[in-house]
Amino acid sequence: MTTTTAPPGTEALELTGLVKRFRAEDGRRVRAVDGMDLRIGRGEVVALLGPNGAGKTTTLDVVLGLSEPDAGRARVLGRRPRQAVVEGRVSAVLQTGGLMRDLTIAETVRMIASLHHAPLAVDEVLERAGLTALAGRRVVRCSGGEQQRLKFALALLPDPELLVLDEPTTGLDVGARRAFWTAMRAEAAAGRTVLFATHHLEEADAFADRLVLMAAGRVVADGPTPEIRRSTLRTVGVTWDDPPADAVLARLPGVAAVSRRGARLVLRATEPDVLARHLLTRTPAHDLEIAPASLEDAFLRLTDALVPTEEHR
Amino acid sequence: MNLTYPLLELRRTLRIWSSTVFSVALPMLFFLVFGAMVPWGSVRLAHGDVAAQTMISLATYGAITAAAGMAGSAALEQHQGWGRQLALTPMTRGGFVRVKVFVALVVAALPVAGVCGLGALTGAGAEPRVWLLSPVLILLGSVEFACYGVAVGKLFRSEAAVGAASGLLVVLAFLGGAFVPLTGWLLDLARFTPVYGVMALARYPLTDGATPTLSGELVQDPLWLPVVNVGAWTLVLGALAVLAARRGTRRA
Repeated sequence: MTTTTAPPGTEALELTGLVKRFRAEDGRRVRAVDGMDLRIGRGEVVALLGPNGAGKTTTLDVVLGLSEPDAGRARVLGRRPRQAVVEGRVSAVLQTGGLMRDLTIAETVRMIASLHHAPLAVDEVLERAGLTALAGRRVVRCSGGEQQRLKFALALLPDPELLVLDEPTTGLDVGARRAFWTAMRAEAAAGRTVLFATHHLEEADAFADRLVLMAAGRVVADGPTPEIRRSTLRTVGVTWDDPPADAVLARLPGVAAVSRRGARLVLRATEPDVLARHLLTRTPAHDLEIAPASLEDAFLRLTDALVPTEEHR
Repeated sequence: MNLTYPLLELRRTLRIWSSTVFSVALPMLFFLVFGAMVPWGSVRLAHGDVAAQTMISLATYGAITAAAGMAGSAALEQHQGWGRQLALTPMTRGGFVRVKVFVALVVAALPVAGVCGLGALTGAGAEPRVWLLSPVLILLGSVEFACYGVAVGKLFRSEAAVGAASGLLVVLAFLGGAFVPLTGWLLDLARFTPVYGVMALARYPLTDGATPTLSGELVQDPLWLPVVNVGAWTLVLGALAVLAARRGTRRA
């Protein structure tokens, strides 16, 4: 790490009113990021979630100094993004490309290491990314998971305070995905700030302390993972032989929506406890099960309302 | 920046660049046919003979073709998104272009060494100042073509564009008098083109600026003409390469 540290109290990341426009192929102006505000404190592990086209990668490009915002301000550890990159305070595992297929793993790490001011030792980085045994292998011969770990190794080189991961496990199988997150968890445990974009909800759920949901270029929800999950309806499932009509079910206390799966009813509930008590004491329904809303549900509810409108597209 | 990056880049370039051998062998072969085995090779010029002049022309041609060949590797890098990886390091765009120019000059030195070595073996005659200065001037003049290659490779990712760029280089080489002498308005036009400048500069120690024309007469180029030509094109193409390197950060 570089010798000077950011003044205490400085956020790891501050985005204020960020706007980034693109010209679409038909010539119209698209606001990929449309007034984004985000603050991330040091040591936080934050997942940036959103459907494709929500503006996640565009936002991360600005954070990394790869593109300039059209309006608004981005500060990484109190600095302009490019300055933070030059000082080695932020680095990233990028989603697309980024590796030369004809280099070996060790050559790739040595090349990028030689460009940083005070890089970690090449051997140490290979070790931490679990690549020591593969050092002499050409990138073109590496599996998707191995290439991803190589990008991770490159991201570790400057010993960054903020680590950005853009869809780091896309295209990886379950085993490779697990290996990747195991390596990442060690970094987070060491106090590094991690911001990762994903559309794998389970990953966000399992790994992040905090979720930031993006849709149409804005933050639509932001909070600790359990809170986001709670903010949506839970479901009450029961088996009910010969149940009444949906219209009747919908009038039960605390019911928001009704769906049927064979003999099983799934009721979305605003007040699951009230509904459960009613079902078990006043109706023949049995085998009751209250399920927490999946993150997927939360996600769909929060983003459905924000399907990109014409003016945003 | 230390030498690790440029040296690994050089190793990579030599490893994947199948045309390296071609770029060295072709000008050597041309020299054997048009320089070493022709009866007028021993005709005297100001500081050497015609064989030496052919040697310098073909060494120059080989060097600029090899330097401009950086287009291929730059395009491949661009395609693989390496530019985005580099953009996450302290490397500047100028630093990126400097590495490319360094690698290009090493690669360009191979045909120069090959052709001049062959010239020495087959008895091309020139005074020591020619042997000393001309290879250096060829490499200096190759800088602008390395920049040209980087700019083309970064700006146009498609292989067709890279092919068009090497086609344009052949036209420029023709205008530069690399293949046949020019005359009249074509020669007047050619003086403003980049290959002409490098050729004229590289031959200057041998000819003192005397340039053969198609009609057989000699015309005299003052020294400032190739110097200004090479200087101006190096600035223009160098700036273009640095601007083009900016594109490396865009998403593929």
